[in-house]
Amino acid sequence: MFERALTQVKFNKDGDLLFSVSKDQVICVWFSQNGERLGTYDGHQGAVWTIDPNPSTSILASGAADNTIRLWEIKTGKLIKTWEFPTAVKRVEFSEDGEYLLATTEQRMGHLGTIVVFPINPDVHGEQATEPSLRITCTDSKATVAAWSYLSKYIIAGHEDGSISQYDAKTGEQLLNVPVHERGTLITDMQMSPDKTYFITSSKDKSAKILDVDNLKVMKQFVTDTPLNSAALTPKKDFVILGGGQEARDVTTTAARQGKFEARFHHKIFEDDIGRVRGHFGPLNTIAVHPAGTAYASAHGGTEYVHIRGVVESTIRVDTLVNTMLIVLCPIGGEDGYVRLHHFDKAYFDFMYEVERTRAQH
Amino acid sequence: TDLALESEASAHIIAARRRLLDEWRAWRAKVEEELTEERAEVGLRPFGAEDEEDTEGTKVIE
Repeated sequence: MFERALTQVKFNKDGDLLFSVSKDQVICVWFSQNGERLGTYDGHQGAVWTIDPNPSTSILASGAADNTIRLWEIKTGKLIKTWEFPTAVKRVEFSEDGEYLLATTEQRMGHLGTIVVFPINPDVHGEQATEPSLRITCTDSKATVAAWSYLSKYIIAGHEDGSISQYDAKTGEQLLNVPVHERGTLITDMQMSPDKTYFITSSKDKSAKILDVDNLKVMKQFVTDTPLNSAALTPKKDFVILGGGQEARDVTTTAARQGKFEARFHHKIFEDDIGRVRGHFGPLNTIAVHPAGTAYASAHGGTEYVHIRGVVESTIRVDTLVNTMLIVLCPIGGEDGYVRLHHFDKAYFDFMYEVERTRAQH
Repeated sequence: TDLALESEASAHIIAARRRLLDEWRAWRAKVEEELTEERAEVGLRPFGAEDEEDTEGTKVIE
């Protein structure tokens, strides 16, 4: 059976564009305001796992099961560069200044997982480097996710064994490695705060945590009842959004009714569960928040539940917190793989705890 | 007395939240100050300063 589950969604820095990738090899770009499709980037020969637009929205990086990283000119869809590896590429991310790209590669018989860094030529017509400027080999446990800290000082990686590492981004030296999530449960997502001084991780251990990039100290934790695939921070409001659920083959309508696939909102500072947005009949794979904090995009797996397509277009209301306008963006290739874009309304922005109200910025 | 217990409990929760909020804000203030210093060392303005300048004089349409 064709699997078309969406694997990652990402906004560009201005938030006017939304990129999505899926297991069906297609990269799409959408106008985030109205859900109109702007174009596609065609060429990958396997499931596309990851994407990132650079800070100036000129170059898009993608990583896939065809063991390549590709760079695309965003405006024209033209392929700029292909880097090949012995194994799949699971995560790509540009540094804050767009001058470097990091990527994680899979572990496979005879190949350890690695984190590689390439210098990026901002000129879309110019030459790109052929070799990485840095290669970190993960000898203990492969990196499943990785991200840059502020000023590209550190590379932070989340591992299959639930630990998190801090590497010197210049030398690749491992400075810290701490057990953060339950031993042996893999880290599924890692997203930095806008200033890249702290980050949130999600894990199959059903929790999400916020850590300080400087010392990897756990600052906050959010405990749920379902394995998590994604976690995001919301600018403007002190919330986090978490999503997950069991794999598609274990999906039941009961699980959907029990809310296993809802996007859950927690208060970032108080940690409490404050609201939910009803999901699909399938696990929530990926969440991205608009850089201005005005909307979020999410995507579910669940390829078998095509019969609910007709009801997706309705507006969803949750706990008066997130009255969302839902745009069904992306029925990729047919019946499945929706990207859902939720715009926050006034109630969301007005929502405040009493202590936040009385202690409004002094 | 139930009411008294309840309000005592909620006073407790409110005090705890106030403490969490103060701790978070103190941590953020420290981190932001350090970031501003480190950015200055490499000739960069405080984080977000460029963005603010970009939108100066433009009207934000919601």
